[in-house]
Amino acid sequence: MNWELMWDSVPTLLGGIPVTLELVGLALLFGAAVAFAAALLRLSGNPVAERLMAAYVFVFRGTPLLVQIFLIYYGLGQFEAVRGSFLWTFLREPFWCAILALTLNTGAYTSEILRGAILSVPQGQIEAARACGMSRTLLFRRIVLPIAIRQMLPAYGNEVILMVKASSLASTITLLEITGIARKIIAQTFAVFEIFIVAGSIYLLLNFLASRLIRYAEWRMTPYLRARG
Amino acid sequence: MHRHPPTNPNAPEAVIVDNLHKRFGPLEVLKGVSLTAHEGDVITLIGSSGSGKSTLLRCINMLEVPDEGRIVIGGEAIGLKKGRGGRTIPADARQVDRLRTRLGMVFQNFNLWTHMTILENVIEAPVHVLGVPKAEAVHRARALLDKVGILSKADSYPVQLSGGQQQRAAIARALAMQPKVMLFDEPTSALDPELVGEVLLVIRQLAEEGNTMILVTHEMGFAREVASEVVFLHQGRIEEQGPPERVLVNPESERVRQFLSRHLSNGG
Repeated sequence: MNWELMWDSVPTLLGGIPVTLELVGLALLFGAAVAFAAALLRLSGNPVAERLMAAYVFVFRGTPLLVQIFLIYYGLGQFEAVRGSFLWTFLREPFWCAILALTLNTGAYTSEILRGAILSVPQGQIEAARACGMSRTLLFRRIVLPIAIRQMLPAYGNEVILMVKASSLASTITLLEITGIARKIIAQTFAVFEIFIVAGSIYLLLNFLASRLIRYAEWRMTPYLRARG
Repeated sequence: MHRHPPTNPNAPEAVIVDNLHKRFGPLEVLKGVSLTAHEGDVITLIGSSGSGKSTLLRCINMLEVPDEGRIVIGGEAIGLKKGRGGRTIPADARQVDRLRTRLGMVFQNFNLWTHMTILENVIEAPVHVLGVPKAEAVHRARALLDKVGILSKADSYPVQLSGGQQQRAAIARALAMQPKVMLFDEPTSALDPELVGEVLLVIRQLAEEGNTMILVTHEMGFAREVASEVVFLHQGRIEEQGPPERVLVNPESERVRQFLSRHLSNGG
């Protein structure tokens, strides 16, 4: 065990945190929008939209994220239409390819979490809102969504943690986030064990903070669960 | 003891139900029920479970859409049309939403919104559906919570309240819309026996104040005291209806007599 090397690699590896956080943060942000739209379409009652969204979820949950990243990064550039379009400014950058893959992946999972949460909102509370004369949109905005979001927080916390770890796959398409930097150091020092232990510890720290953050959000948003005590 | 005055046929009609039919799959729950509530009436719907009394109540505010028949709320008939697959649906969802604001509904299981405090529950619909300014809604809500005796619970969440308190909060929530008619769907059936009294007390007070009410109940003694009219339903039809002192004391129908003897022997 080369302690000195481990210690020296810490600042370099910490330098990968911003890229990791950018990947995770942007993917979660865009993914939430995708998930919201997908869940609503899935529950829209329109059979075409429902089947389309079911297919999206099926494909992106059913295939490895690594394969999705490769397909987007190496695959899309083969099409003249993609290279010729404005999208190419984004899709030729590995960073945006990784964002796209992570977004579509987390969007699929999160839409299922949200859909389940929406379906689990107690029927009685929905009826009470309808009986007050709430329109469909008002009912969704004031009653269904607030209850569903609170309901989905624990499962969503899981998803956030999975995303922090999944972002390491972006290193396979040349991105220098934490894992990318680790691999670069290893290529120079051959200290696989030492460097990955440091890298792994950084992920552990990030996820510790992420789970704390989610737990805090849960605590803030569900005073009625605390009240039951 | 207070007795409700008999129904006044000269008062304007608050709710008219005309020849209502409702099917759930092969089961016909309502087989042509007609009923009129004049302003100030307190109508109690009684009958064994499965008689269609709750379904009738839920049809009045369109939580169930009847297959046939007509419902008129305060002189305005609810438009119905045939939807996909031949099912009857409201012709205009906005009309239904608007008419519902005039009908206060109290459910068996309270159905308070769990993520809001009691006060937030009470001001929710006045503020967001009727557009009442928040300060005014809060002011009125606090008065209503005081009236039903749970003002001290205004900032609590529903889970912190007993069943009786939750139901009183639900009544305050319905009253906050200043409805023309109050609908009660077995308001005490989910309560522990010792909590029934406090809820009945509130409902009785509303009856005495001249509110128009239609309530489904199993509390026969209560029905006798507060009702201006009792309607007995049996297998989706009205078996007998009339003033409580007749229907509940000297019914013509043998079925009503049997039902009452069962219920009175249960101490109901």
